[in-house]
Amino acid sequence: MSGHDSKYFSTTKKGEIPELKEELNSQYKDKRKDAVKKVIAAMTVGKDVSSLFTDVVNCMQTENLELKKLVYLYLINYAKSQPDLAILAVNTFVKDSQDPNPLIRALAVRTMGCIRVDKITEYLCDPLQRCLKDDDPYVRKTAAICVAKLYDINAELVEDRGFLESLKDLISDNNPMVVANAVAALAEIQENSSRPIFEITSHTLSKLLTALNECTEWGQVFILDALSRYKAADAREAENIVERVTPRLQHANCAVVLSAVKMILQQMELITSTDVVRNLCKKMAPPLVTLLSAEPEIQYVALRNINLIVQRRPTILAHEIKVFFCKYNDPIYVKMEKLEIMIKLASDRNIDQVLLEFKEYATEVDVDFVRKAVRAIGRCAIKLERAAERCISVLLELIKIKVNYVVQEAIIVIKDIFRRYPNTYESIIATLCESLDTLDEPEAKASMIWIIGEYAERIDNADELLESFLESFPEEPAQVQLQLLTATVKLFLKKPTEGPQQMIQVVLNNATVETDNPDLRDRAYIYWRLLSTDPEAAKDVVLAEKPVISDDSNQLDPSLLDELLANIATLSSVYHKPPEAFVTRVKTATPRTDDDDYPNGSDPGYSDAPSQVVDGGASPQTSSSSPYTATRQQAPPPAAPAPAAPVPDLLGDLIGLDNSAIVPVDEPADSSAPSLPILLPASTGQGLQISAQLTRQDGQIFYSMLFENNSQIPLDGFMIQFNKNTFGLAAAGPLQVPQLQAGTSARTLLPMVLFQNMSAGPPSSILQVAVKNNQQPVWYFNDKIFLHVLFTEDGRMERGSFLETWRSLPDSNEVPKDLPGIVINNAEATLDQLAASNMFFIAKRKNANQDVFYFSAKIPRGVPFLIELTTVIGNPGVKCAIKTPNPDIASLFFEALESLLKA
Amino acid sequence: MISQFFVLSQRGDNIVFRDYRGEVQKGSAEIFFRKVKFWKEDGEEEAPPVFNVDGVNYFHVKVVGLLFVATTRVNVSPSLVLELLQRIARVIKDYLGVLNEDSLRKNFVLVYELLDEVVDFGYVQTTSTEVLKSYVFNEPIVVDAARLQPLSPASIFMQGTKRMPGTAVTKSVVANEPGGRKREEIFVDIIEKISVTFSSSGYILTSEIDGTIQMKSYLTGNPEIRLALNEDLSIGKGGRSIYDYRSSTGSGPVILDDCNFHESVRLDSFDMDRTLSLVPPDGEFPVMNYRMTQEFKPPFRINTLIEEAGPLKAEVIIKISAEFSSSITANTIVVEMPVPKYTTRVSFALDPGAVGQRTDFKEPNKKLEWGLKKIVGGSEHTLRAKLTFSQESHGNITKEVGPVNMTFTIPMYNASKLQVKYLQIAKKSSTYNPYRWVRYVTQANSYVARI
Repeated sequence: MSGHDSKYFSTTKKGEIPELKEELNSQYKDKRKDAVKKVIAAMTVGKDVSSLFTDVVNCMQTENLELKKLVYLYLINYAKSQPDLAILAVNTFVKDSQDPNPLIRALAVRTMGCIRVDKITEYLCDPLQRCLKDDDPYVRKTAAICVAKLYDINAELVEDRGFLESLKDLISDNNPMVVANAVAALAEIQENSSRPIFEITSHTLSKLLTALNECTEWGQVFILDALSRYKAADAREAENIVERVTPRLQHANCAVVLSAVKMILQQMELITSTDVVRNLCKKMAPPLVTLLSAEPEIQYVALRNINLIVQRRPTILAHEIKVFFCKYNDPIYVKMEKLEIMIKLASDRNIDQVLLEFKEYATEVDVDFVRKAVRAIGRCAIKLERAAERCISVLLELIKIKVNYVVQEAIIVIKDIFRRYPNTYESIIATLCESLDTLDEPEAKASMIWIIGEYAERIDNADELLESFLESFPEEPAQVQLQLLTATVKLFLKKPTEGPQQMIQVVLNNATVETDNPDLRDRAYIYWRLLSTDPEAAKDVVLAEKPVISDDSNQLDPSLLDELLANIATLSSVYHKPPEAFVTRVKTATPRTDDDDYPNGSDPGYSDAPSQVVDGGASPQTSSSSPYTATRQQAPPPAAPAPAAPVPDLLGDLIGLDNSAIVPVDEPADSSAPSLPILLPASTGQGLQISAQLTRQDGQIFYSMLFENNSQIPLDGFMIQFNKNTFGLAAAGPLQVPQLQAGTSARTLLPMVLFQNMSAGPPSSILQVAVKNNQQPVWYFNDKIFLHVLFTEDGRMERGSFLETWRSLPDSNEVPKDLPGIVINNAEATLDQLAASNMFFIAKRKNANQDVFYFSAKIPRGVPFLIELTTVIGNPGVKCAIKTPNPDIASLFFEALESLLKA
Repeated sequence: MISQFFVLSQRGDNIVFRDYRGEVQKGSAEIFFRKVKFWKEDGEEEAPPVFNVDGVNYFHVKVVGLLFVATTRVNVSPSLVLELLQRIARVIKDYLGVLNEDSLRKNFVLVYELLDEVVDFGYVQTTSTEVLKSYVFNEPIVVDAARLQPLSPASIFMQGTKRMPGTAVTKSVVANEPGGRKREEIFVDIIEKISVTFSSSGYILTSEIDGTIQMKSYLTGNPEIRLALNEDLSIGKGGRSIYDYRSSTGSGPVILDDCNFHESVRLDSFDMDRTLSLVPPDGEFPVMNYRMTQEFKPPFRINTLIEEAGPLKAEVIIKISAEFSSSITANTIVVEMPVPKYTTRVSFALDPGAVGQRTDFKEPNKKLEWGLKKIVGGSEHTLRAKLTFSQESHGNITKEVGPVNMTFTIPMYNASKLQVKYLQIAKKSSTYNPYRWVRYVTQANSYVARI
């Protein structure tokens, strides 16, 4: 061939299209080929050459593969816009699919699958059927992928023509390429179908594990990823699988290594022998570290995954902290991830080394990295009590360099350190005050003001310091204003002298009359009222001892961590979000709680400050400063790192509506208690079985639980934690379960409160529960919230108000539902039964042979449900229609109703 | 599984664009480029290699100044996609000999043909140049490699990525030489990237070698090859005790922390005599990657002295000592040191009679830069710089400068002492004697001295 392809890009003076047309119809092969190349060149730069369709397709009948491929490339691009003309190509395609040359056969099927035109698809079926059974592996592997293409265009056709079975047969093919593609195609089809199509049995498992050894690297990834869905039956099988997969850790392809790691981690959960687990951890460490020698892009993926892995199995890399030290030429995204992991791996043993690194990073050039390094020092101080002092001295050294942003960042973390270790390090306040003038960032300013207010009695000139800020009060950001307000009140309560008194008047005036910010105004009014009615009470509230904050460096919610670990080596593990949160490909899936459930995990970035609870606009930035935090009961002992506290309801907390007002009831085990559904079977819980259900008794919601210890050891120290859920259900007090001897059981009624940790997003009845004890790992299980548990005793409505409410609600708030499987045999009994669940009967009428019943019910916060049930007594099928101001939760209502009527 | 693949130039021009599934909108390349160019999220100014915009996941790697990008809508294995992007770049380079915007544009038909065989419906089929040869029919139009860069000694090893540095063999694996016949030759490169961090007192805080044995074969008939490595090579930190007794001599055994191999490598006798056997596929590929944290002698010592010389002045002295044999010469050395932000002026003084050296004060990012064309083993070089400040330092000036960072390339030197003892080509005929090139090179990865 002569010349360069780029000449095809050059334009001609004469009309380009007519000239190309002429060349395409030339009698010389070479000229035609050149012309097609020119057409493709025009196409790739975005010119419309679709008018040449017929002329290009005419060149299709050729033995020259190079030319054929070019024509096919063109066809794929334009067939969609010229469906009628595309039919012209069908004959050639079908003929090609029976060509003696396997490359041409495969090419024909491959290309037809890419043309999403119905008429072409029809003609694809027969050739595809043949090619799936072709003698040549290249044709078979191309056909396997083609089934996935066809499924994407027309799923029914694939099922009708039995292509799924042919595809499954290919799993046993003797060519590993074919096996790999069949696995990939089946996995994709399964992903898009709600029916079980590609189930991995122990038989397929062993076949695929064998194929694994012969596959190309990419095929290995397909197979490993498909197999990771397999749940081994027992520890023995898990060990066997792991043994077959471990050699993949030595692969040069990072994707193979990570997929193997995923598989091993998953099977490890089942392996009981600690020796085997320890050994596996040892084997995984070097390959994981080696990933950090790859290109920075891959390093980033590896680091995001390692971040998850060390949260579950910190021992794997406990001794490898040095490999996470930042390199001079690491891209910033790699450095940031390394810092995060260094904090997670920091321990009393290596903290000196780690601090030395952080200190070095804190003097580097990149501002964001420097800030992160300073925060990292603070987080280590909070995490490691014995190292706190060393961390603080490093921070002080950094402050002395007087680089503005370093100082500000240091003050923010020192405030957190004060909250973690109250009354320990206040001697450094003097040093901090020296930097007061240089602070210009809101968060740093707010932190410094908080420190001054909190320790006003120890700072001689606290009033002067605060006063210097007051002048600019109206111009300060809300965050700083809130802190100034609280700090001034604290100062006044601690030093009720003339100066502070004047200051407080200025501040209260500024924060009530002069501001538009409702948060600020509300807080100021409450202080004002407190101070004017009962200064002693004000002291109790404002100066109350604050709960000690804890380390958040293991910041992921346990259930999210579980989900992410199951998704190691996928995008999910890079974003630290569950797949549903970002996968947008349309597919039928059950609605799930979205990522808002995971306030800490949903952010792929770096949220650090341990005391930062709220991050929205005008809300108080740090809970530490809120005077009401003290009155709020501390969260129950978490089964795992506590999730961020909810935005406190200011008034509710002050008037005593907080959950501390609810006295935990320790109900004795009720022998007549109904049997509870098993949520954690003993087989999963290493012998511990948990059955539980939400119940309502005397207007209170309880979590009725039964613990059965079938293990060989006594279990104690039970704790419980609920994940965020639609109704904000949370434990009102600690879980009261005595030590459980082996073979014994215990029942308990855990009082629950509502609206504590609400999740955003579409309503869901899922309640995720974590239970831990001192002997076993944390157990997670899902329960269902049946809405009727929430129905309040005051849900009865008068006829009049029922009718009025029904009319006042727009029709769009009416949701109908058929419950076909339900039979009501005895109206009386059903009414009683529903009334027992606070679903109150209002009226009944006859409509032909049907009975129509009306009910009312109410859930907390006064959301009413108006219910209409239509049925023929004794015959299956109940029609239900409800009206409610909150139709979003209608589906939950029907779930509950169905379960009530079935009972 | 990927949806689209495209290559963008540094200016954001679409050089190659292939849509495999038609489920991501056409404008994705522009969306991607705008996002990357104006990235500012989480306080970072460089886009991470994986991110999501409006439900589309974008992956990218940078190869010789080009952006190789893939998109998808599903929860795929990100390492698979990133690795694939690197491999596509390598396959194209194998075919074209040279990978750049010009060669891609000149060979677009071939590139599309390759892309169709490499990926089908978003699924990787093969990235082996060897396998692809049976399915790909276009011939490369070789761009003039000589025009690309002057043939300085350094260009025998072009700067490449960390794991797969590009060799300067700018010869297509498929194209014939002008003479019509291919020259029988095989290149084996032992490429090591070393990272060392010295403490302010000169101790080695961390040291690491990332090594690759890279092979590029132009042998016809794909004969089997045996590579023998150091016999006392051991792998895994646990192995140390077994081999310790051998280290009576100064050299000592080579202990790798970890290593992995290309899939074509057979390790049958590796445990016994440390030989690898393989039938090298066409194209460039890493035979073995390894990592070592065992202590080694760093090739350069860096001594830095900084002293205040009056209220608004300071003097910096950087001394580089090359601690390797005088028969070896390092090249393209650059030493950098950040200086206080309030530095306004710098005057430099070099050793008397210094040649091939340059100095520069990078005003915008407040950095000293000292470039040396070459350093002969055993020699010492010193740079003196007088700094002038616009304000007084905050007290301890050493906290506001540094660290010193150094980059270099040292041909025919390897820090790990890992060696290819012999390279055997199995071929019956006694007259068959292809060219065998075994080359060593060491490059600085992160070579840092704190102050």
